[in-house]
Amino acid sequence: MVMKKLLRNPLSMIGLILLLGFVLVAIFAPWIAPTPENNKNDPFRVPRYGWGSNPEPPSKAHPMGLTQGKYDIFYGIVWGTRTAFQVGLIVTGLACLVGVIIGSTSAYIGGKFDEVVMRFVDVFMSFPFLIAAIVITAILGRGLDKVIFALVIFRWTGYARLIRGSVLQVKEEEYVMAARAGGVSHPKIVTRHVLPNTIFPVLIQASMNMGSIVVTASTLSFLGLGAPEGYADWGQMISFARNWILGTPDNPLTYWYTVIWPGLAIVLFVLSWNLIGDAFRDIMDPRIQG
Amino acid sequence: MLTYIARRLLFLPVVLIGVTLLVFVAMSLLSPYQLVSTYIKSPEELKNQSLDDLVRKYGLDQPAHVRYMNWMKNLFRGDLGYSVSASMPVKEAIARRFPATIELALFAVIPVVFGGIWLGTISAKNYNKPLDHLSRTFAIIGWSLPDFVFGLILLMVFYGVLGWFPPGRLSMWADTVVLTGDFVRYTGMNTVDSLLNGRPDIFWDAVRHLIAPVITLAYLWWAYLLRITRSSMLEVMNKDYVRTARAKGLTEKVVANRHIRRNAMIPVATVSGSMVLGLLGGVVIVETVFDYKGIGLLTATGAQQLDYTLILGTTLFYGMLLVLINLVVDLLYAVIDPRVRLE
Repeated sequence: MVMKKLLRNPLSMIGLILLLGFVLVAIFAPWIAPTPENNKNDPFRVPRYGWGSNPEPPSKAHPMGLTQGKYDIFYGIVWGTRTAFQVGLIVTGLACLVGVIIGSTSAYIGGKFDEVVMRFVDVFMSFPFLIAAIVITAILGRGLDKVIFALVIFRWTGYARLIRGSVLQVKEEEYVMAARAGGVSHPKIVTRHVLPNTIFPVLIQASMNMGSIVVTASTLSFLGLGAPEGYADWGQMISFARNWILGTPDNPLTYWYTVIWPGLAIVLFVLSWNLIGDAFRDIMDPRIQG
Repeated sequence: MLTYIARRLLFLPVVLIGVTLLVFVAMSLLSPYQLVSTYIKSPEELKNQSLDDLVRKYGLDQPAHVRYMNWMKNLFRGDLGYSVSASMPVKEAIARRFPATIELALFAVIPVVFGGIWLGTISAKNYNKPLDHLSRTFAIIGWSLPDFVFGLILLMVFYGVLGWFPPGRLSMWADTVVLTGDFVRYTGMNTVDSLLNGRPDIFWDAVRHLIAPVITLAYLWWAYLLRITRSSMLEVMNKDYVRTARAKGLTEKVVANRHIRRNAMIPVATVSGSMVLGLLGGVVIVETVFDYKGIGLLTATGAQQLDYTLILGTTLFYGMLLVLINLVVDLLYAVIDPRVRLE
């Protein structure tokens, strides 16, 4: 039913096709951009072709050109798709898990405990997400695992709040009362009766956040706080472009390929999630259908 | 209304303590030796003292609650330590850079708010018509464009190719004028100061430098505001009181402005708090891309050079600022929606 509506809407259709494209690129990365023999054991390291730092325009061997430090742009983009999915899925998955556990427990127990947990969530939410992530990655050091950690720490709160609201409603329902009267243990009530009836909005929210998580992760890489240098990561590819953005005096667009290709990859990836998410929201929002 | 304000003000210290605790926990992830740097007031102190002496001197070997109290005492004195990357005390660095960021934020907020609401209204009025699709497509592309990508492309086109909007805060010649003794720095904001000093040429130069960063900041948030304005307008449009207003013969303009738009603004006011959060985050990137010397660039360079003193200081500053901004937003909210005061 939902799927049918998604397929009928032209915008979400474009989103689904784009996403499918990225999934295929991620799966078939080793065939699309084969890893050179000399770094077979570390395919996420982008190969460099030559010395010096100048970018080189697209050629037959390197269809998207070489960026600063002679890193192959095409290779970085193809393998960067895997990085983007990894970061997006791991962060969303972990943040959801933590948020759902804390939010539902807090709402189910209720009372003073709930009050304290929610004030705690308030403090976390009162920080700008990006700045919080910058602080954590700066303190923990560079690396994708640290980026993931920082994003999870400041992302679970949204899901916790969302599920708390639904659990507060559902826990007064008769079937929960019945389960309680029947002597079912609390953990079992939560996992068997409460969560299955409250988790759906969280999952939708999570899918809509995928785009923004990948943007934040690549922003950190752009600022030099994310993946180590030479790791296949779109944000880093764009940070390489920064010094070349103004080109040469006689041709300001000389190095266009250093920013356009990786930029296009991020934009299309995020766009695909947002198109799907937007259509989802319209389908799920009964107010607009009336 | 007064009790509402009083309650909000009473809640203020609780949030502030929460913010300091959070920063403190982040600090505790560092080793005492790394932390020493956040306590040293000037490079002079490093002479004739070993790191162990300094760790003991600043009580970094003490248990957490003692360290927290000491740290808070320093904060109350306004002492945030010495920043290596800015080579001046953190307090001074923030004071110098802050006007630039405020200037950028002020110039960005007006187009963001009015543009976003305007687009959302158009979209809702033409629901499911070509104009609606057009403005939504415009918005969703903006929502998907990471600000650093968009900023770099603007820089490439409008500075590299056309030479219209240069990076930085002022051109070289204007900067020289501003730094001379004759030019009085009243506020630190170039646009305001230049007008007060009677220099329209410098004012124009400052504005020229602001346009590209403002567009970068605005595009993303237009999309966000459009979305919220559109859906809340659509909801309000179907309400009974709107039908009543039309039925009693009010003109479409009065219905739209008085009955629909006012009520539709309530959700918009609700998100304005999180919008300010996002704008402050966006400032870090925009300032980095356009080499605009404000707090955001300060934080970003500090983070790149692992200048913990500076990062913790600016974070704390951001936290305090946000608490105050949220307070203002809540008060405005109470003005827009009288029901909030009764809660």
